[in-house]
Amino acid sequence: MLKFILRRILIMIPQLFLLSVLIFLLAKAMPGDALTGQLAANPKMDPQTLEEMREKLGLNDPVHIQYIRWVKNMLQGDLGLSYTHQQPVTDLLAGRVGNTVLLSAAILVLTYLIAIPLGVVSGRWTNTWADKLIVGYSYIGYATPLFIFALIMLFVFGFHLGWFPTGGSVDIQVEEGTLAYYLSKLNHLMLPALSGALINTVVTIQYLRSEIIDTKVKDFVKTARAKGVPERQIYWRHILRNSFLPIAAFLGYEITGLIGGSVFLESIYSYPGLGQLFLQSIMQRDYSVVTALVMISGVATLVGTLLSDIILSAVDPRIRIE
Amino acid sequence: MLLDVRHLKVHYPVRGGFFRRVVDYVKAVDDVSFSLNQGETYGLVGESGCGKTTTGRTIIGLIRATAGEVLFEGTDLTKLSRRQFHPYRKDIQMIFQDPYSSLNPRKRVLDIIAEPLRNFEKLSPHEERKKVQSMLERVGLSADSIYKYPHEFSGGQRQRIGIARALMLNPKLIIADEPVSALDVSVQAQVLNFMKDIQQDYGLTYLFISHDLGIIRHMCDRIGIMYRGRLVEEGTSEDIFANPQHIYTKRLLSAIPNADPRERGKQTALRREVEQEYAQAYSRYFDETGRAYPLKPISPTHSVAIP
Amino acid sequence: MKIEVNRPAPVDIASEKSPSALSIMWRELVRDRLALVSLIILSVILLIVYGASIFLDQEEIVKVDFLAIHSPPSAEHWLGTDYGGRDVFGQLIIGARNSFTIGLAITLITGAIGLVVGLVAGYFGGWIDNVIMRIIDFILVLPFLMLVIVFVAIVPKYNVATFILIMSAFLWTGKARLIRAKTLAERELDYVSASKTLGTPDWKIILFQILPNLSSIIIVNLTLNLAGNIGIESGLTYLGFGLPESTPSLGTLVSYATNPDVLQNKWWVWLPASLLILVMMLCINFIGQALKRAADARQRLG
Ligand SMILES: Nc1ncnc2c1ncn2[C@@H]1O[C@H](COP(=O)(O)OP(=O)(O)OP(=O)(O)O)[C@@H](O)[C@H]1O
Ligand SMILES: [Mg+2]
Repeated sequence: MLKFILRRILIMIPQLFLLSVLIFLLAKAMPGDALTGQLAANPKMDPQTLEEMREKLGLNDPVHIQYIRWVKNMLQGDLGLSYTHQQPVTDLLAGRVGNTVLLSAAILVLTYLIAIPLGVVSGRWTNTWADKLIVGYSYIGYATPLFIFALIMLFVFGFHLGWFPTGGSVDIQVEEGTLAYYLSKLNHLMLPALSGALINTVVTIQYLRSEIIDTKVKDFVKTARAKGVPERQIYWRHILRNSFLPIAAFLGYEITGLIGGSVFLESIYSYPGLGQLFLQSIMQRDYSVVTALVMISGVATLVGTLLSDIILSAVDPRIRIE
Repeated sequence: MLLDVRHLKVHYPVRGGFFRRVVDYVKAVDDVSFSLNQGETYGLVGESGCGKTTTGRTIIGLIRATAGEVLFEGTDLTKLSRRQFHPYRKDIQMIFQDPYSSLNPRKRVLDIIAEPLRNFEKLSPHEERKKVQSMLERVGLSADSIYKYPHEFSGGQRQRIGIARALMLNPKLIIADEPVSALDVSVQAQVLNFMKDIQQDYGLTYLFISHDLGIIRHMCDRIGIMYRGRLVEEGTSEDIFANPQHIYTKRLLSAIPNADPRERGKQTALRREVEQEYAQAYSRYFDETGRAYPLKPISPTHSVAIP
Repeated sequence: MKIEVNRPAPVDIASEKSPSALSIMWRELVRDRLALVSLIILSVILLIVYGASIFLDQEEIVKVDFLAIHSPPSAEHWLGTDYGGRDVFGQLIIGARNSFTIGLAITLITGAIGLVVGLVAGYFGGWIDNVIMRIIDFILVLPFLMLVIVFVAIVPKYNVATFILIMSAFLWTGKARLIRAKTLAERELDYVSASKTLGTPDWKIILFQILPNLSSIIIVNLTLNLAGNIGIESGLTYLGFGLPESTPSLGTLVSYATNPDVLQNKWWVWLPASLLILVMMLCINFIGQALKRAADARQRLG
């Protein structure tokens, strides 16, 4: 087991390296560099000083030296300067990351809150009308693109019915730290989180359903039933416990989807998180922010996959034999 | 001599440890030598996993030999490149164990049987179909089966299709890897006798692989007994069945079920005796590593692995 | 070919020929009522879209008319007009055509790449397989959406072809992995060994022996991917990083909804396109699911 984990981490190192090289090259290919930010703040700089500053910042060094410096800075938490916001990228991200994490966590919680009861009902009472309804929902949810669904949710519940706010993460009037503040945050969170979760949940529902159907006919369940163990207990003790671990393990794989989802959701609900920042920055050509965000989501995806692989291998030893 | 296998070795690396280095080898075939004369049937027998299939597949070039030579009419096949091997494919063919997976389910019988023709001969579709049809009739299937698919046939019929395909190029040597072990007992004899018939007609040489000594006795002129990748005894059918020398051969023979119920009691006693002898004499027949000794001739036709 | 003439009784041959994988899947598809309805709806939509787009004058549609800005549906403009007074219905037709065509193009390109790479990696194995799998593993852990957006933003001379290329560069991996796994399993079967001993060259074994056995899986996968690709394309276009403005897509119409006023009050601009995307994706998915069930059932029967 330990060997597997170590080997799995070893595989991640070249991936991390390749990722950083790819992003570094992309950053080089983007118009503008670290100086563009300075220039925006101080447009009257003459070419002489500009060239001196380029030299000082090392922008004239060979590419590999620049790459090494870039990685070093990144490891020390220095992600450069955002020229539209005129502040260090790290600070900029710190102000936004909370919202995205909150949204993602809310989506995950809601996803499982919806998926587990629906999956269980559907897997336990197969071919009832409830099951058919759930299966129908899961098919439709599987086919529906998130951005369309989110727009329709916003249209219906935000604008038409007016049940939820249509943008932002919190009311500006409320004072930070008060109960009203947290309630307002929750209120703003509900619609985007629900939109994400209702689409995100269908994969888990389908998985849970087929898993339960498969385990239902396994020998150990039959034995338990023959011994007179009540049906409820069979489901809790034997079937669900077997199905939950893999689902928990899929958490890491979800990260990719959550990152993509947050870009859409934050843009549709004007929710001030990293996804919205990403789109804004790329439109304003604020490329130091873009680079930092891509790097962060790349690392998050890598680490998520790593965690899921490890948990899954603990649950199911067959996976370890590569 | 048609085929001469000399010191054939096939070793599979076993990887382990943190860096997946090669830590050991599975010696699937470990220094095996035997030869086949034109027109005879040579039987390769042994328990499951002793390396019979590996030997057969290495001879026909499906598996690379680690060391040793496979001389076919004097040419060492193991040294040939793919291109150089090509002309020999005509001469050496194989009948596979599983009549289900050895026929492509998506191909019509015509395409299956004509496949070797298309690789070696330029025939018009009409000539090709004629040839396939006459071969089908030869193996006992109706000529209008050519447009059917494999799933429309029984196991025995499928095996006949496989045989027809192998015969298409008039091979000299056929390697039959457990050709009937996947078939019902009732069909086995049919297919075996049919194989004997075509051996006569086409002047075939068989390398016949099986774990069933009864079938081997029925089919083979000479027999090699294999154990853990090595030959432990080799001789004519007579030598092996009437005068087994190696302890492992004796044990194999004693395990043949006896059809006559009155003999069963006697056989059980015999089997127990052989088991006892096997346990006692083990060290005399195998070296410290459990490896069999090289073969030593004890008569012009009969060799045994003894120190 | 001339010799084909003396084939005896071709009618007999046809009747003896057992149905191919495709025709079996077709039969299963038609038997599935939901899939059949989906197929009909999709066909009708595509017929209308491609038929009408021949007659529609694209110049006419994209012409700005400031006298008819945001006018609601009427006899003249069936689905009203957008902020430039352009006919929404016409844009819907053109957009649907573009979205579907480009989704299909991406599907076919990634399918071709995935097929070649997967077959080669699975059949030959060894270091080729190792290298290919490492590359695929790497691409699969990249933050796809963000990278596509970055590429779209920085590529010089951005057009439809570059968009298709960028998307394809990421999306071939899943297919390659699937095909590889199936090829790997298929390669172990004796019919492949038999072909080798019969002197059939590798490329022929791959193309004519193994590939036909993967056809049902490929069809299912391509169908489901087609739906996915249309979704991704329109989503990216919605964000402003999909098709360039010269090639309107369904996502373009939906993207007008980023203006809250349009979203709230001018439903005719964005809702029809959203619903059309939804309907198309549902139909393709239902067809794909039915094909999948048919393929699975075939596999069970052997
Ligand atoms: N590709 C491989 N890699 C590693 N070991 C292998 C491989 N192929 C075969 N072996 C090993 O080589 C040995 C011989 O296998 P082989 O298939 O030749 O046996 P066999 O005598 O044909 O057995 P059976 O009667 O079951 O068919 C077995 O121990 C097997 O585990
Ligand atoms: Mg074998």
